[in-house]
Amino acid sequence: MHKTITRRELLAAAAGAAVLSACNVQKPTTPSSVSVARAPAYGQGVYDTMRRLLDEHQVNVRGRNVVLKPNLVEFEPESSINTNPLVVHAALEAFRARGAASVRIAEGPGHRRNTLDLAEAAGYFKTVPRFEDLFVDLNLDDVSRVTPPRSFSRMKKLYLPNTALGADLLVSMPKMKTHHWVGATLSMKNLFGVVPGAVYGWPKNVLHWAGIEESIADLHALFPRQFAIVDGIVGMQGNGPIQGVPKKVGVLVAGADPVAVDATCCRIMRIDPMRIGYLQLASDGIEAHIAERSIRQTGESIASVQTPFDLIPEFQSIRLENS
Amino acid sequence: MVIMSIEELVAKQNQDGGWPYVRGTSWTEPTVYAVLALLAAGETGYARRGLAWIVRHGRPDGGWPAQAGMDQSMWVTALVALLPPEQLGQEAHRRAIAWLLGMTGEESTLTYRMREWLLGNARLTDKEFAGWPWVPGTAAWVGPTSLAILALERENTRRPQADMQRRVEEGRVFLMRRMCRDGGWNHGSVRALGYESLPYPETTGQALAALRGVRSPEVEKALKVARRFLAECRSAEALNWLRLGLLAHEELPQGYCVPPGVASRTLPDTSLDMLVCAVQKGSDLFWG
Repeated sequence: MHKTITRRELLAAAAGAAVLSACNVQKPTTPSSVSVARAPAYGQGVYDTMRRLLDEHQVNVRGRNVVLKPNLVEFEPESSINTNPLVVHAALEAFRARGAASVRIAEGPGHRRNTLDLAEAAGYFKTVPRFEDLFVDLNLDDVSRVTPPRSFSRMKKLYLPNTALGADLLVSMPKMKTHHWVGATLSMKNLFGVVPGAVYGWPKNVLHWAGIEESIADLHALFPRQFAIVDGIVGMQGNGPIQGVPKKVGVLVAGADPVAVDATCCRIMRIDPMRIGYLQLASDGIEAHIAERSIRQTGESIASVQTPFDLIPEFQSIRLENS
Repeated sequence: MVIMSIEELVAKQNQDGGWPYVRGTSWTEPTVYAVLALLAAGETGYARRGLAWIVRHGRPDGGWPAQAGMDQSMWVTALVALLPPEQLGQEAHRRAIAWLLGMTGEESTLTYRMREWLLGNARLTDKEFAGWPWVPGTAAWVGPTSLAILALERENTRRPQADMQRRVEEGRVFLMRRMCRDGGWNHGSVRALGYESLPYPETTGQALAALRGVRSPEVEKALKVARRFLAECRSAEALNWLRLGLLAHEELPQGYCVPPGVASRTLPDTSLDMLVCAVQKGSDLFWG
């Protein structure tokens, strides 16, 4: 019987080959550290947990400019679509407590132009004091031209917001969600929000034409000074990132290596990170970023917090059980 | 609505004559809206400096970049083409219109459709009704298509041309095909992987403005959605476009006022609000 190979399968196969070839050349690796912390609800406990996470990673931001990049998508405050504002506020306080010179919050939603209205509906104005003064709409920020250092995608150049480019530390703070094009949307995919709508429009379709997974890998390479904190207290399963349903997980996942953080989140969601194309691309064949045995994990074990996320039929093959 | 006066709008003008979105360097979009608002208010002096900024940053291909210095013409060219030619300059305006007429979403190009047909992914006639993209080389979407239709329709009223009329009509078919199932528009994705998508207020207003003069049960359905959004929505940008869209169909409720506390957060929000007020008072700056 004739079997059509999908683009996703082709990508996974190519990436798998890249991993194997990388193993052959014995690249030196340094294990990445990822913390998994229990956070049962959006309550005051999140503030302590956040401080503990940054302590564990000895995040040094004294005198530096930090930009927190949550994921704001839609005007649905009751759904699990946006990063919860309490998690972002907890991070803001924790980075300030570590001596950051400035901590700002910045985002550029992909579909809706009225970012501040969206943030207000998502509860950011109520939760974060002086939110409007701290916030930068990345869709409308001044931009600079950059060249992707690795050229995973067809993009030869990109205009990106100066607030994100100038950050000493860019903290990607996504929601833990499934995604109907790439399987899972976590800290790396969250960087689509730094691409300015004022240049590329709503949606940022240039990234789709250049290849979604490849563009994610390009954006990851463009921001070498990152930290990732994933809001997995309540995630989204099913037809994410917009039309899915809430999934209670009760964790925050953090680390300085977004590839390792996202790979760990995938395992918590019972998704095989080896079958997520952009993780394969960005890991560059170095298993320390992505292989469970190579990631130095602290806090809760994956086994103790994992919970299978519902996947749409097109993505059943990325389930860990099916791999 | 928390609005800005003309004086405050003028105070936000950068030294170079352009306007920022909020603060910072000048961009084409806020500059065009500010110029239109100033022209509507009869403030031609300040508008002239803005117009000079716009003319200075036109590109050799006839289009405009989103911001000065960018090496690519894009969607903002439709906004520039909305400016009156006697203010912008006949030649600059003609080139903007020509750029728009030559631009389609990549999925409507013959090369792309032929490739998809050869790969067995689509019929050759699929996607032949061309809309406009945000950036050349990408797909067409509701926002840039609506703006391009507004600009071309206005020009077609001044100087009717068959190819312009054809593009306007094709663009309107594109919009009708991108309407959400229960009426209204989002950015242009009716469904993803079989799941229906929901409409947004701002794009529903934009598309209705571009469909001015079109009567059909589908448009009626969209107008109903727009009226519901108008009652519920608290975003200045959305309310501006909803008012324009409803005005285009003479469906804005008599005496409608924007609810108190709605904040204009950007220069385009402020300028567009001034423009809508001017249109309500009979200005022909938007659709002639």
